[in-house]
Amino acid sequence: MRLLAAFASWLPRALLTLAAIGLLNFTLIRLAPGDPAAVIAGESGAADAAFIDRIRSDYGLDKPMPVQVAHYLGRLARLDLGVSYRSNLPVWQLITQRLPATLLLTVTALLVAIAIGTTLGIASARSRGGWLDVAIGSFAMLCYAMPVFWVGLVLVLVFSVGLGWFPAFGMASMIPKQGTAHLIDVAHQLVLPALTLSLLHLAVYVRLSRSSTLEVLDRDFVRTAQAKGLTDGQVMRGHVLRNALLPTVTMAGLQIGHLVGGAVVIETVFAWPGIGRLAFDALLQRDYAVILGVFFVCSVMVVLANLVTDVVLRLVDPRIGR
Amino acid sequence: MSTSNSRNWRLWIGGGTLAAIALVALLAPWIAPHDPWELLGPPLEPPGQAFLLGTDMLGRDLLSGLIHGARVSLLIGLTSSLCALLIGVTVGALAGYFGGTADRVAVRFTEFFQVIPAFLFAILLVAIMLPGLKSVIVAIALVTWPPVARLVRSEFMTLRSREFVEAARSLGLGHRQIIVREILPNALPPVIAVGSLMVATAILTESSLSFLGLADPNLISWGYIIGSSRPVFREAWWLSVLPGLCLFVTVLSINLLADGLGDEGNPLLRSRRGGAP
Amino acid sequence: MKRLLQHLLVLVLGSWLVFSWAQTPVRGGTVQSTLWPEPPGIVPGLFLQSPALLPGTKIFESLLTYDFNLTPQPMLAESWTVAPDGLKYTFKLRRNVKWHDGKPFTADDVLFTFGEFLVDVHPRSKAVFQRTKVTKIDDFTVEFTLEKPFAPLIRSFDTIGAPVLPAHIYRGTDFRKNPANATPVGTGPFKFKEWKRGEYIHLTRNADYWRPGLPYLDEIYYRFIPDAASRALGIESGQFQIATQNDLELRDAARLAKLPALEGTAKGWEWGSPIAWIQMNVRQAPFNDRRFRQAVMHALDRNQVRDTIFSGFAKVATGPIHSSSPYYEPGVRQYEFSVAKAEALLDEMGLKRDASGVRAKVKLLGLPYGEVWNRAAESTRQALRRVGIEVVLESTDAAGWVDRLKNWEFEMIMTFLTTLSDPALGVSRTFITENQRKGVPFTNESGYSNPRVDALFAEAAATIDEARRKQLYSEVQKVLVDDAAVVWLVELQWPTVTNRRLRNAVINGMGPNGNFAEAWLERAR
Repeated sequence: MRLLAAFASWLPRALLTLAAIGLLNFTLIRLAPGDPAAVIAGESGAADAAFIDRIRSDYGLDKPMPVQVAHYLGRLARLDLGVSYRSNLPVWQLITQRLPATLLLTVTALLVAIAIGTTLGIASARSRGGWLDVAIGSFAMLCYAMPVFWVGLVLVLVFSVGLGWFPAFGMASMIPKQGTAHLIDVAHQLVLPALTLSLLHLAVYVRLSRSSTLEVLDRDFVRTAQAKGLTDGQVMRGHVLRNALLPTVTMAGLQIGHLVGGAVVIETVFAWPGIGRLAFDALLQRDYAVILGVFFVCSVMVVLANLVTDVVLRLVDPRIGR
Repeated sequence: MSTSNSRNWRLWIGGGTLAAIALVALLAPWIAPHDPWELLGPPLEPPGQAFLLGTDMLGRDLLSGLIHGARVSLLIGLTSSLCALLIGVTVGALAGYFGGTADRVAVRFTEFFQVIPAFLFAILLVAIMLPGLKSVIVAIALVTWPPVARLVRSEFMTLRSREFVEAARSLGLGHRQIIVREILPNALPPVIAVGSLMVATAILTESSLSFLGLADPNLISWGYIIGSSRPVFREAWWLSVLPGLCLFVTVLSINLLADGLGDEGNPLLRSRRGGAP
Repeated sequence: MKRLLQHLLVLVLGSWLVFSWAQTPVRGGTVQSTLWPEPPGIVPGLFLQSPALLPGTKIFESLLTYDFNLTPQPMLAESWTVAPDGLKYTFKLRRNVKWHDGKPFTADDVLFTFGEFLVDVHPRSKAVFQRTKVTKIDDFTVEFTLEKPFAPLIRSFDTIGAPVLPAHIYRGTDFRKNPANATPVGTGPFKFKEWKRGEYIHLTRNADYWRPGLPYLDEIYYRFIPDAASRALGIESGQFQIATQNDLELRDAARLAKLPALEGTAKGWEWGSPIAWIQMNVRQAPFNDRRFRQAVMHALDRNQVRDTIFSGFAKVATGPIHSSSPYYEPGVRQYEFSVAKAEALLDEMGLKRDASGVRAKVKLLGLPYGEVWNRAAESTRQALRRVGIEVVLESTDAAGWVDRLKNWEFEMIMTFLTTLSDPALGVSRTFITENQRKGVPFTNESGYSNPRVDALFAEAAATIDEARRKQLYSEVQKVLVDDAAVVWLVELQWPTVTNRRLRNAVINGMGPNGNFAEAWLERAR
């Protein structure tokens, strides 16, 4: 019941935020110099004012600003993101085509980061103060400081150009395979970019799991359990992981929304066909509809991710909630 | 992990490295062997005798490029962080001090900025304002200020009900004086730690922007060297690896320094949301 | 002895057989080609972006095509005659041609294309065909009449400038919104099969093509690979058999062309003949003084630009007309790389060096089309710095660049333009006074104005006397180069790298934008 009430109070705020975002982006892009009609005309070597005007009216770029804003917000409400002027396809279609690739990459990377990070963090806590603790801590700090594109390029140089173990670019072979061969192909291509991204984010999970492990190890009930004769492993599994779960899930939930939006760089390095790159290319082409659409979708994801995280937290720990 | 001993060595190593880099940046025009833009040697020469770190596709000396790049990266990192701090402190102070509607508005405002996909927003801003020093600094600042605002807000909320503030008010001091002269100095210590991390984030964001080609074409920066060398990165690994190494060392030393300065500035508990992808 | 002769005979005969077998085109095969970026559509005329042309020119055809010398060759027109006064062009059309949907190709389609379609939509050709009136003499004969002679007309009938579209599908419709644009119907050797957005365009062999036995190939795939390094890898590994124009970084193309399994050529762009130059806003000082422009020409080491920046895929441009054109004049003023000459001209102008060695501070807007152009801008800045001109580089994106170009918001701007198959079509537009049209790109944006030049271009466009035209264009080149109307950099060459197994990919002036009717794949060994 409290959950519903919380949701009811959350909804209007969320909608207002999303509307504000839509308005902001719309204003910003239209303020930018450059005329999409001229870009199309420019590419065809054209020099005809009538031709350019024709493009402008075809794509609705000639209506007065307030009219365009009103139409845009109205369409957003219906979840209609418009049509890309360059490819003549609905923006929604372009985004749904490319979003899975980004999700595949970011979710995989996040899971790997959590897996490695948590393992290292727990090991670090158990060796508290020892050489392993220091080593892992230093490793985490090193990972945190690396620029994402540098890590990607170095990994490509070593594992792809140098050793030839993994392909360097793209999500699948240039001439796609079928069936399971395709799945294996994608998995193969996924390794380097997912590894790059996960290295960058594992530091947080090392820290989280380390401190929550330390917390657990210090608590009385653990000592009680140990006194009762439960093995270390059982203690670990039982309490530590559950304790580390909460902050980890919170962090992951908060991160996922932003990872999707921040995927531009990694998608550029690995030519990964996701929405980060879609947005960047659209920006350079002044394809308003596409970039606004991606912005909006990413913001929605963040808002939704925050909501889901909140809900999960309340479910897992009923003590949360005012 | 945060015993004073380990804190000390982090402070020293981090601070020392950073100071060295800053020195190099400052003295760049004098210590760089060549003009980084000058087409001097044979193109794509690997590191060796004539050119210590090799040349790029136009025969420009990489070592000089890296030295001048330090200037640009640090300059942009510091300036944009300062701007971000300014915005964040202002918003946070006003929200925390006045409370009520001002607070609610400020909180919504801050939340709004935290929902926006930060890096996409930065790219958008730079593209709109056209790539240049100003647009990069403004874009990074506008994207990294929210965490500072939240911190300052909570500090102010805690501090505004303290006795010394009551005392100042009874003395008849105006709001502005109370904020700036009484509360702010006390709120600053945690802000400094966060601020130093913001510099690291700002440097990384700038390098990502340059890597994507959204940089001032008259300034040579580490990210720019890597980005412009992408067509030849298979043959000329040094053009990608070495500038990245500089970025890495710089950011690492800032993180070490921040970590050494205190637990509140713990870098690893913050997620990398505020701008760096 | 007899034995030896016999062996020799067998050897010779055998070699000849093997050789000719290796040279005989074989039927069958699938060609994988790169294509980037994914074009919005592939009907030429409606979509003129470079990647749209590659598949479009396999599906559609035109009345004529052109060899490497831009001499007209028959295509959908079997033969043609030009009246001596240049006011009437009569084309006899081929009889056994069918559209991909089975309907016959007739004069009606030509009437529609030139009378209704091109004059409405084609940004480049509409100006040409607005001068003509097309009439049908019979089902397979058409006539173009003009009021004034227009020599470039005969060179305007290529598939990119004048694709013939089916009247029965397009007449009376909104051409841009016609659903047939998604599944184009042409007369060409390849039919449209499928367009999987984000992945590929698939063409298949037209079994009813009007040239018996052709095409040789069964299928062509145009795949969208966004990353240049991947495309280079694709052709190196043999996954792709052809990559052209901007699909490969020049540096990669140079390297790949040397590999034993591949070959590269820069031919096949004669119809476009692109030239790159720096144009200045001559409405402002110091750009209005031709000595400044001449000084800049002398200050640039264009040989180095060609070698280092364009990886050899360029030729130093000596003037406004491409060296492959029949109207090219080599006897113009030479601007060799000479810092001394540049400095002398600037001194003569009165632009002395100040205390910090700077004579003038100018802005250069570069082209936002890739790293090659960034390097070109950077090296220009360095070269001019050496003679005391401080250059501040401005950068913008594609949309912003066109905006600033057409609104004359630049001091110096680097650009390139296709000079097309005739100077009256592609060259004069940059230099004649009346073509200063603010708000329209690829016109005379610099503001250069010389009545002598205007007169020369006007007369050359109006006469069809070839000898006279050559004379006039010779003179206009000399005047323009003397004036350094713009600072010419290089003639661009766009490499086409093909796998050696792919034959006849580039066989005429249309190059990879030919229709591939004669292209064939050697069997893999």
